[in-house]
Amino acid sequence: MTIDTTALAKIPPAGPAAGPVLQRGRILRLPRSPKVIAGLFIVAVFGLIALIGRWVVPYSPNATDSQNWVQHVLVPGTGGDSGFPASYYPLPYGPSAAHWLGTTVFAQDVWSQLLASTQATMFVGLLAAAIATALSIIFGVSAGYIGGATDEGLSLIANVFLAIPGLPLLIVLADYVPSAGSSIFLVAAIIAVTTWAYSARTLRAQTLSLRNRDFVEAARVSGEGRTRIILAEILPNLVPIVAASFLFTTLAAIYAYVAISFLGLGGSPTGSPAGLWNWGEMLREGFANNAVRGGWWWWWAPPGICVALLGTGLALLNFGIDEFINPRLRTAGLTARAAKKAGIKLGTAVGVTPVASISPIAVKPATSAADAVLEIHGLSVDYGYGAEAVHAVMNCDLVLRRGRVLGLAGESGSGKTTLALAAMRLLRQPAVITSGQVLFHSRPFTGEGPKGTIDLLAAGLHQLREVRWSEIAVVLQSSLNALNPVITVGAQFDDLLRVHRPKLSALDRWARSGELLEMVGMNADRLRSYPHELSGGMRQRAMIAMALALEPQVMILDEPTTALDVVTQREILEELMGLRDRLGFAALFITHDLSLLVELADEIAVMYAGRLMERAPAASLFHAPRLPYTHGLLNCFPPMHGKRVPMEGIPGSPPDLRDLPSGCAFHPRCRWAMDRCTREVPQLAPVDGSGREVACWLHRDGAQVPAELARPEPAQRPALMRVSEQ
Amino acid sequence: MSAAAPVLEGRNLTKHFWVKRGRGPFARRTAVNAVDNVSVRLEGGSVTALVGESGAGKTTVGRLLAKIIKPDAGSILVDGKPAPSGRPRSYAATVQMVFQDPFASLNPVHRIRHHLARPLQIHHLAAGDVNTVVAGLLGRVALKPPAQFAAKFPHELSGGQRQRVAIARALAVRPRVLIADEPVSMLDVSIRLGILNLLADLRDEDRLAILYVTHDIASARYLADTIAVMYAGQLVEVAPSVELTDHPAHPYTQLLLSAAPDPDRAQPPVLAGSGAPPSLLAPPSGCRFHPRCPHAMDVCKRKAPPNITVAPDHIAACWLHVDPSERQASENGAIATGPLEKAETKR
Repeated sequence: MTIDTTALAKIPPAGPAAGPVLQRGRILRLPRSPKVIAGLFIVAVFGLIALIGRWVVPYSPNATDSQNWVQHVLVPGTGGDSGFPASYYPLPYGPSAAHWLGTTVFAQDVWSQLLASTQATMFVGLLAAAIATALSIIFGVSAGYIGGATDEGLSLIANVFLAIPGLPLLIVLADYVPSAGSSIFLVAAIIAVTTWAYSARTLRAQTLSLRNRDFVEAARVSGEGRTRIILAEILPNLVPIVAASFLFTTLAAIYAYVAISFLGLGGSPTGSPAGLWNWGEMLREGFANNAVRGGWWWWWAPPGICVALLGTGLALLNFGIDEFINPRLRTAGLTARAAKKAGIKLGTAVGVTPVASISPIAVKPATSAADAVLEIHGLSVDYGYGAEAVHAVMNCDLVLRRGRVLGLAGESGSGKTTLALAAMRLLRQPAVITSGQVLFHSRPFTGEGPKGTIDLLAAGLHQLREVRWSEIAVVLQSSLNALNPVITVGAQFDDLLRVHRPKLSALDRWARSGELLEMVGMNADRLRSYPHELSGGMRQRAMIAMALALEPQVMILDEPTTALDVVTQREILEELMGLRDRLGFAALFITHDLSLLVELADEIAVMYAGRLMERAPAASLFHAPRLPYTHGLLNCFPPMHGKRVPMEGIPGSPPDLRDLPSGCAFHPRCRWAMDRCTREVPQLAPVDGSGREVACWLHRDGAQVPAELARPEPAQRPALMRVSEQ
Repeated sequence: MSAAAPVLEGRNLTKHFWVKRGRGPFARRTAVNAVDNVSVRLEGGSVTALVGESGAGKTTVGRLLAKIIKPDAGSILVDGKPAPSGRPRSYAATVQMVFQDPFASLNPVHRIRHHLARPLQIHHLAAGDVNTVVAGLLGRVALKPPAQFAAKFPHELSGGQRQRVAIARALAVRPRVLIADEPVSMLDVSIRLGILNLLADLRDEDRLAILYVTHDIASARYLADTIAVMYAGQLVEVAPSVELTDHPAHPYTQLLLSAAPDPDRAQPPVLAGSGAPPSLLAPPSGCRFHPRCPHAMDVCKRKAPPNITVAPDHIAACWLHVDPSERQASENGAIATGPLEKAETKR
């Protein structure tokens, strides 16, 4: 129901483009992040060196020229008049034009060795990763998909491999397998055997979650065989994870190869049988021959830096894949940059919707009604900034009166939740309020707390904290999952009261908590329960009780009962409306279920595509809708009585906020759409002089109003669920 | 109901799910009686709605009939003959299913064409050009122009369009039975009727037998010919849909109706009962609804009620409809022969 930032981020930002274009867009978007570009660049450079390095070396990596490539330093106490024959020890040369990275103590060219080493190092890394990934797919996916005893057996094998420490096993294997050192295939296989289990476990978990997805079940119902389901339905969905684990394993394999070579198990390139040059071998020779003590950094530093650089490159690529899999990671960084680009200054306060400072807040002078408690004027909310912004709420006015229930109806994506949460400034970036005014006229029931009119959009964090929960409480559809699962309900009430009602003693707090639970129709014993011991309905009741704990003047109820069964929904609504009569709070009730709203609200506002389209007393709206959309929406609920007649609903589907129709956003679905509707956006304005408002050209300038939209106003009656009229 | 054998029939279906309670070596396996002795008959050219609250077992019945899961007891019959065991392709060609969540039931990595072409290939139905058949299917569910939709990926479609694709996929094998598990509950209000009307067309034009699983009794009344109400894993009332909503005979059906939103009501509704559905780990004795029933009698606590025919084609499992003098008699096994009674004796 809610438009949250992740939902927006998941949808690729493109218009009505055809399939292939969009899909290509998805893939092309990957390299746009600077991290990924850097990673790709590093890996590409190393890849190129690996491919051609062996053939562009200036010298053979084994070549020695002991006359010219090393200095000969006289060993002290030899030669001359010491009486001993002169003895020299070799000293490598530092970098020079002839030897870019200097020479080794064995009179070899380091640059040549480095170039030649890259190939074997990367080859072993990739080969080991390929073997390990193949193993992990075979083990992980079959274990996850087949389940049962197969799963237990395969998982046991994987767990055994996980439990064995990798490096010692490697050393033992490399040491005992004859000629292991000289065969890079054998080395790669040994490394693969020690690294596959991690990825197998990840893939198994992913397959387990995919196995019970509806699309796999649907394939099964259509008669698809097991192998095809694994290969064609499950594996393609695992590609990003397989890619990520492949890169990770490559990295691990390179480290492992460098490690065993460093330990001297990789075979010496100059020995017999000859091993291959690799970075680990270079490091080993350097360390074994006093390169560090001698300060010959050009010998040992380059291979070390190469290992670190390639590792960084692979890690950056992996990070890019992570962002691709989980778009939530991507938005975090983009937000601030996009805002800066669009010239919007954002506050740093957490938990407060930023108010854009680019346009001065253009508001008509607020003419406050006497009994208004919450007034929203001209509120507009965007997701994103500048040209890419999605206008989720546009220029909305709402007035909530004391003790009244205002219903806000609309389909998903119509902006109803955004409107309410933005007014409380509860939305996080990239949501931004671009204009408007939200006035809260506080007259606290408790006598404490803020009094007078507060402009919530101008308020600071401290002021907002004073108002939120204690004066304006919010209950969301998902609230029932907001209870902390590890402490009892009573302790959570206690926490709340201790902070906000410091004067109460522990006993009083307990008593008050029990009283609150009983208020919403629960037994006070339930204070000792943990949330998991309560049903969904009970938890939602507990949340409502908690929202009521500080005697708020306003309750914002966002689909509070949508996740619940009808009977529970009815019980909770009856409790709520009874409480409203007793306690006198005002409620903003947000739901997609217009038929429910008609029963409990005093006044109903209908939203469509981010705009308020009609506002009227509940009974008038139900019996005599003026807006074509409202009329259509009312015809979407089959009646519970009378003869069954075919109903049509509303043709088409709700518009995409990123690509709104011109003029009135409803015109493509409207049976009475006129030429004007496609061009001009209708504004909310009074009709009939009856205190109700509608945004529709059919009611302007003498247009022909269809009979369906001109039914007589019904006699006013209180909302059905209102127990007593105040 | 007609004398001819129904296209698909589930007889005395029972399904237990085993859950672990406790941890480690102390864990015990306990049975959840998800579905207990439920019999459903699906006739060609008619929609049967299965209505109930969450946890009532209605989705489980649908999945049993689609043979996604195996029943612990009871049998499934096609045209009056026992269905073959396992899930052979011939069964898939007869019974198809539409899932609740259109955002999860299409594989995100495949184009719409793949989703529709695969069933054709599996069942060797596309003798000629697969694309023509796919286009025909998309046209059948009013996704036009078909060629354009066939080339799209699921994420490019709206929820309603996806659900239409899911229905088209089910229709691809030309089944005779369609099991629709809450097909509209995840969709926007304004497009629900479009899907319901599509199902009604399939019933009328293709003579499909449809099981419509839902929690929304108003939509069941709109679409279905017969409504079956489930409570805590058992059927409590079966009747033609208008008859059931206008003259509910079981107190649970009355409770459901009193709770449903209905703006036409002149009076504030009075809830006919209270409380929440029982835990199926240890369902109440006798009638499972008795702890919530405003009319509960002594006998309700002791014995499961028999199936009573309260009007033609209208069956309710409730002691209220048994003559007081016979309530005693039935305890001696005189009239009660319904499946619910059998369940009682078995336990």
